[in-house]
Amino acid sequence: MAERIGGDALRVTRDVGIGATDYPSRVTRHTLRISSGEPDFVRRVEELSGEDVFACYQCGKCSAGCPFTSGMDLLPAEVLRLLQLGDERVLSSRSPWVCASCLACEVRCPKGVDIAKVMEALRLLILRKGETGLTWREIPPGVPQIALVGATRKLTP
Amino acid sequence: MSNEAKAFIAPRASHVARHAADKSPSRVTRHALPYFPGCALKDQARGFERAAQAAMERLGYELAELPRWNCCGTVYSLSSDDLMRHVAPVRNFIRVQELGERRLVTLCAMCYNTLRRSARFVSTDPERLQRINAFMDEEPDYAGGVEVLHLLQLLRDEIGYEEIEARVERPLYGLKVAPYYGCMLLRPREVGIDDPDRPETMELLFEYLGAEAVDSPHKVECCGAYQTVANPEIARERVLEIVGAAARRGADLIVTSCPLCTYNLEHHQLSVPGDASHVTGDKSSTRHALPVTRHVIPILYFTQLLAFALGAPGEELGFEQAAVDPRPVLAQRVGG
Repeated sequence: MAERIGGDALRVTRDVGIGATDYPSRVTRHTLRISSGEPDFVRRVEELSGEDVFACYQCGKCSAGCPFTSGMDLLPAEVLRLLQLGDERVLSSRSPWVCASCLACEVRCPKGVDIAKVMEALRLLILRKGETGLTWREIPPGVPQIALVGATRKLTP
Repeated sequence: MSNEAKAFIAPRASHVARHAADKSPSRVTRHALPYFPGCALKDQARGFERAAQAAMERLGYELAELPRWNCCGTVYSLSSDDLMRHVAPVRNFIRVQELGERRLVTLCAMCYNTLRRSARFVSTDPERLQRINAFMDEEPDYAGGVEVLHLLQLLRDEIGYEEIEARVERPLYGLKVAPYYGCMLLRPREVGIDDPDRPETMELLFEYLGAEAVDSPHKVECCGAYQTVANPEIARERVLEIVGAAARRGADLIVTSCPLCTYNLEHHQLSVPGDASHVTGDKSSTRHALPVTRHVIPILYFTQLLAFALGAPGEELGFEQAAVDPRPVLAQRVGG
């Protein structure tokens, strides 16, 4: 349902399916505010990634082909959907930290959204506050430097 | 390949002079190519470099290590505002430029992707390049125009598989090879060396060497990459799918084109205990809590199998560094 909440802003209330494992509930009642602009963090994700998250039409191809979904709390398409809704829960999702930028989604997205860039932007929002996505007590023995450099570059400030 | 690139690879005076000193009658010319090793090929994967040198020598080429090369950065920055991450690649391009060369060959898919994407990133926007040049005030300006190649492209597009076939000394008849591409050679499309979903560059190469290529549904899927550091369980799950699929289709070995894939495939396939089938995966996730059979097969680098087929001696193949020794299966199938 939709109601006018002043000026040209509309409030749309609808059910949004959330299908990921471990997410609080499989169906969440959502309030979508359509107004003159999206929240700052969504705009920032779009700036950092250079991608239009509103281009996504939820076909789910990215989620179907993603080899890392078993470790994700939100599927890639759900990450995009929450961004479209301006839902801040996307900022505390584990999914961007499980994404390995393998670009399987990028080559298949029919709308040309580079989802790996969106995931990177979500990581950067956290990393640029000085927080880290990589905690280790010791460097795992035998792991080559190509992995260590990759992990520290993607997952630490 | 562009005509410009073709003109560049034409034999030059220095190559002819080099040829005159070369006693081998089988070598027509000897092309020296600027070569970017990267960290892995100089450390735990140095056998792959040795094998590449051996193979290329037999094909009339020399991989000439780039002077004063530095780390490529390993992973390409996907952020729009992170110019700093392009400094390392550009510095390498300046080294190529100083040699008067236009091309840079890598053996590593990660280096290939990072360098090739950076070359593209700076060449599509003169202002970005100008800012990077201004930042590196101790270096000459990079003028653009360096082309980054993975060795597989050179083998396929310039040397050609028929030429390679003609120089095979140990045909790989009877050997079943599962090529594994991973991500960085194929994606994104604008830097990929082949179709991102249905590549055949390695299949054809190994068929020309006499082997049978085994197709596998996971050959273009990520091995877990650097997640092997922070989330080894994720990488392990990926690897068991990839190796299991190739093994179930009868592959004698898997051939890779990225040192990180090689590490992950070798390391994680050995993590399954040998005694029985058991359950793997995140226990809270029912989707992946499936019984897993131990499959352990040798993982070779494409340069190793190429050098082997071209007749390189054992000490140039780096087989001894493999976590799973490929020599028994090669001896059994090929008589190596």
